[in-house]
Amino acid sequence: MLPDSSTIRAAARAAASEIVKRPIKEGQRLVTSGLIDSLSVLKLIGLLERKLGVTIPPETLQPEDFDDVELIVETVERVAKPQS
Amino acid sequence: MTFNSVPYLCFLVLAVGLFWLLPGRYRRAFVLLASLGFYASWGLLFVWLPLLVAGIVYLVGRRITANPARQKLSAGLGISCVLALLIVFKYRGFLLATFHVLGISGGTHSLSLATSIAFPMGISFYTFEGIAYLIDLRQGRVKLPSFPDLCLFFLFWPNILSGPLVRARELMPQLSFRKPFEARFCFEGLDRLIWGLVQKNVIANMLGIWVDRGFAPGTTEIPSTLDGWSVAIAFGLQIYFDFAAYTNMAIGAARLIGVTLPENFRQPYHAATPPDFWNRWHITLSRWIRDYLFFPINAKWAGAPLPLYLSLLGVMALVGLWHGAGWGFILWGTLHGAYLVVYRIYESWRSTRAGLSDSRLAAGIWRALTLVAITVAWVPFRAATMHKAASILSAMFYRFSSGRTNSSGFYAFTVALILFCAIEPWLMQKLTGIEDHAGADGPSPFRIIVRPIAYAFGLLLFLLFDEHNAQFIYSQF
Repeated sequence: MLPDSSTIRAAARAAASEIVKRPIKEGQRLVTSGLIDSLSVLKLIGLLERKLGVTIPPETLQPEDFDDVELIVETVERVAKPQS
Repeated sequence: MTFNSVPYLCFLVLAVGLFWLLPGRYRRAFVLLASLGFYASWGLLFVWLPLLVAGIVYLVGRRITANPARQKLSAGLGISCVLALLIVFKYRGFLLATFHVLGISGGTHSLSLATSIAFPMGISFYTFEGIAYLIDLRQGRVKLPSFPDLCLFFLFWPNILSGPLVRARELMPQLSFRKPFEARFCFEGLDRLIWGLVQKNVIANMLGIWVDRGFAPGTTEIPSTLDGWSVAIAFGLQIYFDFAAYTNMAIGAARLIGVTLPENFRQPYHAATPPDFWNRWHITLSRWIRDYLFFPINAKWAGAPLPLYLSLLGVMALVGLWHGAGWGFILWGTLHGAYLVVYRIYESWRSTRAGLSDSRLAAGIWRALTLVAITVAWVPFRAATMHKAASILSAMFYRFSSGRTNSSGFYAFTVALILFCAIEPWLMQKLTGIEDHAGADGPSPFRIIVRPIAYAFGLLLFLLFDEHNAQFIYSQF
């Protein structure tokens, strides 16, 4: 079973802060602002998978699906599968 | 009709005027007809080509939406068809010439036949938009519109020739043209349009005269060190002002009918690192490459170092090839790939050295190195032959000699433009400040007096420098 939205939100905030090495503000743009690049998005996906115990298949995703915390929550809810 | 020509400006005045006079329900059909007319003005021979791309995307799109189980196969088939068109119309001559050199071609007859067919304008742009559309459709990011709406998306005259490369999800919703007229559309559109005319005719075309002479393939002698560097820098400035001019005019024309196109430049010569350059130069192409090529490739390998470095080199070589069918373009792209690899290696090394991450000295060195590296890469991009590129690069780096062959005006103009680029962010900030101070709408001294004078001055400059009229560099790609 997938974690609930608030757990995903907290994990997304923590993972993004870890990547940019500072706390993320509410609604802060990550990719379109140039704060993180596409390779950092891949690291972000890895962190989310570990924190949430899910698998996120990146083939059908684009970096801007991870542009802010709310988009990350939507993306994880849309594509993530529980780790077997 | 090139954007910096009087016939195009007449077309634009007529098209924008009629657009706002027409009732809303006729505007889509009108813009489609105007776009067809504009594209046909480059030659009736290839009007069918963007329509064929729209047809392929539409038919494949219908298969994708009707049969979700075979989405991947359908999208792959559609992308292959669109890519085949690009290869046939843009790269056939280059491929046949390469095969000929390798001794595996069908002879000089097929080569001359292949190179005799004209190049369809904008094909690199609308085929890439078609590929993106199919991928987005497969990923459920866009819906399939009607065929006429899809034709309008691919033919939309402001950006069909040289971009910006738009995503369907940012342009399609705007093509319903539901917005009522607002005065700011005129101000915003004319600001960009007239600045674009000045950038093209006054700056890019003037530089082009000296750059053409400096890169002339006939001259065999090695230039002086000063001339080698100045002609390389001048070309870097020429291509920036030329492409930024086109982009400004495209954004301006779209803005006049209430449409917002994405930005393509953000002061690229202020880049702090090689990756930063690609966040500032041809932003919409960088975004396309990132979303549809680089990210999916590296997602498979989870960003592992060796596949990452190889993909950076390969993808950037393809970016070079996208610009033009020639080895100089491929070398330019590969050089940029190498810069990105070197910077990634440095970043991995830096992450193990705590003090370096905030070092101002390291940041300053990277900024200077980036600027030099970009300038070096422009040489093979512009040179007609590898021999010419080698002679300019040798003059720049090891065959030092004094002397100059150009007039003082060239050096003074180049230095003035370097200074302009240096203060461009500050200047833009000041202009935005004045605009914000004037308020969002309504009359102000800035709008009533300064703007019309600036527009008249800009148009005067455009007409005065019209004798050096030349095609936009990026329209050849």
